[in-house]
Amino acid sequence: MDTLVARYSQPMFEKEYSEEDQLELCQPTPSLSLKFAMPPIAQPSAWLRAATDDHANPNCPIKIAHGTTTLAFRFQGGIIVATDSRATAGNWIASQTVKKVIEINNCLLGTMAGGAADCQYWLAYLGMQCRLHELRHKRRISVAAASKILANLVYSYKGMGLSMGTMCAGVTPQEGPALYYIDSDGTRLSGNLFCVGSGQTFAYGVLDAEYRYDLTEKEALELGSRSILAATHRDAYSGGFINLYHVKEDGWVKHGFSDTNPIFWKTKLEKGEFSNVTSELV
Amino acid sequence: MEVLLGITGKDFTLVAASKAAMRGATILKASDDKTRALNKHTLMAFSGEAGDTIQFAEYIQANAQLYSMRNNIDLSPSAVAHFVRGELASSLRSRKPYNVNLLLGGVDPITDKPSLYWLDYLASLAPLPYAAHGYAQYYCLSILDKHHHPDIDYEQGLKILRMCTDELKRRLPIDFKGMLVKVITKDGIKEVEYDDEARIACP
Amino acid sequence: MASGYDRALSVFSPDGHVFQVEYALEAVKRGTCAVGVKGKDIVVLGCEKRSAMKLQDTRITPSKIGLVDTHVCLAFAGLNADARILVDKARLEAQSHRLTVEDPVTIEYITKYVAGVQQRYTQSGGVRPFGISTLIIGFDPNDKTPKLYQTEPSGIYSAWKANAIGRSSKTVREFLERNHKDDMDREATIKLTIKSLLEVVQTGAKNIEIAIMAPGKLIEMLPVEDIEAYVKNIEQEKVEEAAKKKTGRPGTGNTSILATRAADE
Repeated sequence: MDTLVARYSQPMFEKEYSEEDQLELCQPTPSLSLKFAMPPIAQPSAWLRAATDDHANPNCPIKIAHGTTTLAFRFQGGIIVATDSRATAGNWIASQTVKKVIEINNCLLGTMAGGAADCQYWLAYLGMQCRLHELRHKRRISVAAASKILANLVYSYKGMGLSMGTMCAGVTPQEGPALYYIDSDGTRLSGNLFCVGSGQTFAYGVLDAEYRYDLTEKEALELGSRSILAATHRDAYSGGFINLYHVKEDGWVKHGFSDTNPIFWKTKLEKGEFSNVTSELV
Repeated sequence: MEVLLGITGKDFTLVAASKAAMRGATILKASDDKTRALNKHTLMAFSGEAGDTIQFAEYIQANAQLYSMRNNIDLSPSAVAHFVRGELASSLRSRKPYNVNLLLGGVDPITDKPSLYWLDYLASLAPLPYAAHGYAQYYCLSILDKHHHPDIDYEQGLKILRMCTDELKRRLPIDFKGMLVKVITKDGIKEVEYDDEARIACP
Repeated sequence: MASGYDRALSVFSPDGHVFQVEYALEAVKRGTCAVGVKGKDIVVLGCEKRSAMKLQDTRITPSKIGLVDTHVCLAFAGLNADARILVDKARLEAQSHRLTVEDPVTIEYITKYVAGVQQRYTQSGGVRPFGISTLIIGFDPNDKTPKLYQTEPSGIYSAWKANAIGRSSKTVREFLERNHKDDMDREATIKLTIKSLLEVVQTGAKNIEIAIMAPGKLIEMLPVEDIEAYVKNIEQEKVEEAAKKKTGRPGTGNTSILATRAADE
């Protein structure tokens, strides 16, 4: 009987790590010993092993932290870009204050999901290419061209382990507000609304329901931030701070890097949402 | 679960492709255009591995247009088809093959004869009166076998296409967000207004 | 002349000349004339066409005016065979540009590219510079301002309101300098182009080629009959003007050149 129960009570998802790895990752550090915030394991090499995804793809040498929620959408007043700020490596929260919106130049933004290093490096590279384009052609690069540079670039590395899911948002005189989704498969799509990362489904849920193109600026900013909040609440790999941007004709404007925790409680207590969470001490 | 369909008639070729762009369990875009015009009289629809499809299609498009600029005349649909097959065949034997399936529809600008070519990622090439890729083959080929004739006019062609897309809506387990339909005639390529709103009930 | 300094391409002469490049300019001067003129909202290329030999099939003999992309047109003066290679490189770049950044090339971009290729062939050993100058015309995507550029064998490129290259280009350029006005309409632009070409083309309409570009439209090659009509019209005017000169101021020269000059002063 017990074996039967054990078999059917297994988690839905395929196990990502072996039991030893799991154990090493979960074991808390001895509480009294003074330690720096190191990965909670004895052997750094074992840590590397945990971050190596040789079950899914033996050719891929590095396992990438996919946990993220990022979103961007076009509306009448420009483009809203919002992200969480958590970086994870397996079960380990590596940082709560990551800037996942990358300022390519004063009119172009990129978002970061997938491998942090890949995104940071290649979006910085894209920034360089955009500036070079500006210098060579005496005018700002179109979002279509910028996104295509990135798409062609990642496509040339296809199958070699890059992991990125990014959005390029910008406003140019030729195109108006433009939004592109690019991922490491080489996919490049233009569109009105994208959510990327492990929390994308939660963000889509909130965003799709209330999204309209003729949203006011205030409504749009609120919706962007609320969608990220939804994802940080339900997705374990998303959290930290909400990073909010608004891209307008004359460049982007930052609307804060705000802690999710007070926003969550404010939303819950003032609007009565998140009723599954109790605010009382039992 | 991408759908590609092609039907030739008396003086036209219809090419249809599903509008959903899927990644994992998410539909990222519901108005995707999986076709590229290669020249005035040839249209290519593509499905397969993400990234590969567009890279390959736009590579072919650029080469077809380069040919037109260099030689002041367009390649015929048949010439394009054989060129594409050649590219696929050499790609297949390269380090990283393109994983792309194609339908190539056209009307020969000299003879005004419509044509349709079916190509898969293994570089098979077949000229056909009607063709499909993916799961659509299982549902639509029987319909086309029964209802298609080589001398149908444009209205009849659209009617048969409607039968196919209705059946797909009825029986495919995933919503492919309707079809983008284009028609090639001797006057060039045109997008067809195609109503996708109707719900099709499963009996 | 320059004892040995004109042999190898990659060697300067002591006074700073690269002789091979200057010889290439000579080849350009020997080529048939090409003219480019910007109007208010069109831009026109005109070419002197060598008279065909009796048995030559003029229908399929390539023209000196070529399309680089649907919105960019190029005319050259100098070695025909060199031009073919250069135009082909430009066409490839135009398509490659479309493929990589999704936009058609701007006129300045493709000019810079052509000039860049020409420059490359002035700085390495074992190659010969392109013996051609080019005029590149067209309209940038979503832009209605006409563009006209010139490139030279050295790799220099420059923008113009109107310019001529090739045989007797100096005469034609001087004519254009005297007669070009800003904001010319279509008729005036085409007429000025043909008129300037007639300064060096004696044989008339059958040895002239005219290409017209307008924003968002395909290239238009002017039919021979139309060119003939323009030529007839121009000659008529010249005769009339000469007659007026004769009666008005007997004894002075009868060229239209002097007439316009007098009017300007």
